[in-house]
Amino acid sequence: MNRYSISFLPVNSFLPSFHSAMDAISLQKIQISGPTLASLIQRVSSAAGDVDGLLFGRVSHITPFTLSDDSSTATTSDQPTLVATVTSFFSSNSTSTFYSASGQLDTPTLNNLLSTSDDRLIGWFSGRRKTQLRPSMRESSVTSALASSIQFSSQVQSSPESLTFPPCIFFLLTTPFQDQLIHTHEYKAFQFRSSTDSFDPKTLDVVNLGPAFRGHYGNFTPNSPFPDLPFQVKGLNCESMVEDEGEKENQKFGTLCDQSFKIGRLKSLMGSEAANYTAELEELYNNMINKLNGLAKLVEQSSARVLEQENHNMKLRYKVAGFE
Amino acid sequence: MPPIVFTQLNYLLTHSPHSIKVEQMWSGSKNPGLLDRFTLAIPFCLDYIKWDVIYNAQFPLLAPDIVFGPEDEKFRPYNAGGEGDLKPKNSLSDWNCKDPTRLLSLILELRSLYMAYQKKRVGEVDDERLKFEINTIYSREGIEMYMTSGVDKPEEVKLAVPLLEMDLNKMVAGSTWRHQQKIYLQVIYPVSRKYLAMASAPRLKLVSSPELKAFFSIDEFRLPSWLEGMCMAEYLPTLEEMLESQIRDAISSIEVRRKFITALAIPFGRPVESDPVFCRKATFLACSGVFTFLVHISLPIQFPRQQPALMLQSSQHFHSHPGNAPIKSAILQDYPWSPRWDVVEMAERIFDYLVEECLNFKKYCNEVLVQQR
Repeated sequence: MNRYSISFLPVNSFLPSFHSAMDAISLQKIQISGPTLASLIQRVSSAAGDVDGLLFGRVSHITPFTLSDDSSTATTSDQPTLVATVTSFFSSNSTSTFYSASGQLDTPTLNNLLSTSDDRLIGWFSGRRKTQLRPSMRESSVTSALASSIQFSSQVQSSPESLTFPPCIFFLLTTPFQDQLIHTHEYKAFQFRSSTDSFDPKTLDVVNLGPAFRGHYGNFTPNSPFPDLPFQVKGLNCESMVEDEGEKENQKFGTLCDQSFKIGRLKSLMGSEAANYTAELEELYNNMINKLNGLAKLVEQSSARVLEQENHNMKLRYKVAGFE
Repeated sequence: MPPIVFTQLNYLLTHSPHSIKVEQMWSGSKNPGLLDRFTLAIPFCLDYIKWDVIYNAQFPLLAPDIVFGPEDEKFRPYNAGGEGDLKPKNSLSDWNCKDPTRLLSLILELRSLYMAYQKKRVGEVDDERLKFEINTIYSREGIEMYMTSGVDKPEEVKLAVPLLEMDLNKMVAGSTWRHQQKIYLQVIYPVSRKYLAMASAPRLKLVSSPELKAFFSIDEFRLPSWLEGMCMAEYLPTLEEMLESQIRDAISSIEVRRKFITALAIPFGRPVESDPVFCRKATFLACSGVFTFLVHISLPIQFPRQQPALMLQSSQHFHSHPGNAPIKSAILQDYPWSPRWDVVEMAERIFDYLVEECLNFKKYCNEVLVQQR
């Protein structure tokens, strides 16, 4: 089981009040880093057809910033101010991966998708070319089901009280109907509210680096986890990865590492004996570059095989659909 | 278009009880080619609702999705409800792409859910008069309602009330209509939140299915006037009574036209072509000496009060441009006529008139040919 349900268990007995509280909180805005949004758009526009996927991130409580002398305008809201931050996403290469045709959640598949990631689910997205920029029938059902799911809710961060938040965020990405238009993508971010059964459009705050964003960036904690490689990737540890001429160097690199090339030895670069060590270091760098080249080649080859397999799958699908 | 999608769409267009139209088709693939999305215009409440049906050409086996109109964002036909709720079965829940009937049954199911949705919206409008009107005509079957709302539009409730219980398709002998013919009264109520002692008359309009025009002209029907303080339940019976008697007249006048066409066969010989269902058209072959020509006779709905329109078409003279069309006369409607003559006399008078008129027409044909040289 995933940990979201575990985090929920302690408050299980307060279900009715919890449920209403869960929904009533309106997000102030949704944040996303420029690169995450860019790669989301890239993913949608490079796909052959329509795609969808999951959005990960967190929901945090922020202290409202009210600089006012007038006490009457400083409204003390009962509701905490919440900001959602999208940090990453997962996309399949088709639609309807974790829900049925009529928009019901396929909980086992969803759990399976979530089990490989440490990120918290906060919503999902749908990318479809040349369609209206409003949620479709199925998207409404899926979003509504996610927004009312207790199982997939996550804890609000830095909140004084224990608050949970359902994955009620929905991104819609489309392209304009006319090809001649100046813009090529359209997107809209929503928070689904179960109480009113409606999609509330939310400002999508794109956080970038740079002087203009300094104040902005202070409040934003970027999240770029190192890719998790839970499986033994063949080639990373065996000799076949680096071919021919690389093999020898690879061994040497290994030897170098085995000889525990200590940072301390870098000191030898200074002074009279430097010349000997320069050669040794250059060799080390060369070996590293060779290893990287080998890795790049491996990635290229496997990408080509993935593409080949995808094309093959597409042909099979077309065959089933009666094109031949 | 993916063949699987094409068969479903084709089935929908040929088997739908409503005349659904495809407005546009386009492709959503990266490399345009396969058409996998289209807009359907579905008749509803005497208007059309436009729904975008979205398939995925890359995965044509998947069920389609639908984007409803911009005013219908709240329409959630298959909302799943809470977790663990029992999910009712619907047209999408066991989608089978190989079954060509599925798209049609999906659209029909959604249309009836949409009808219920609009009914619910109208029921929620806080307007005393409207509530009363709807409650009093609630027992009538097949009423469709629509609530217009929008930022720059006035709030209005539209009703489409089907009139007359008779089956028009069966009443017109030999009709080949694919869709059920029906006459509706369109009623538009402006929504007023306050109770007004003198509520203004609703806007009324009679609408019929387009094919009905072949034998009954809805435009010439004069609606009975709406008296002050009247309600629909009072108005409808009078209207239906008037309408029914006029429809019966229209049906019996088909027989009058049929007799006239039969009578035309006495001087002209058997018609080359004639409209056997509504008897609105007949074409005869005639000759004067060696000059051979066709006589097209078209009968108005108001026959015999209004005389038929005649047109002659030469079988021997043709325009050189464009496309060698045969030379035709103007429409002849100014010849001796009396509705009191019996049909045999009518036919003979037309024949006599044409004996003279065809000479003019022959002259005209020759002139055209001379000009063309």
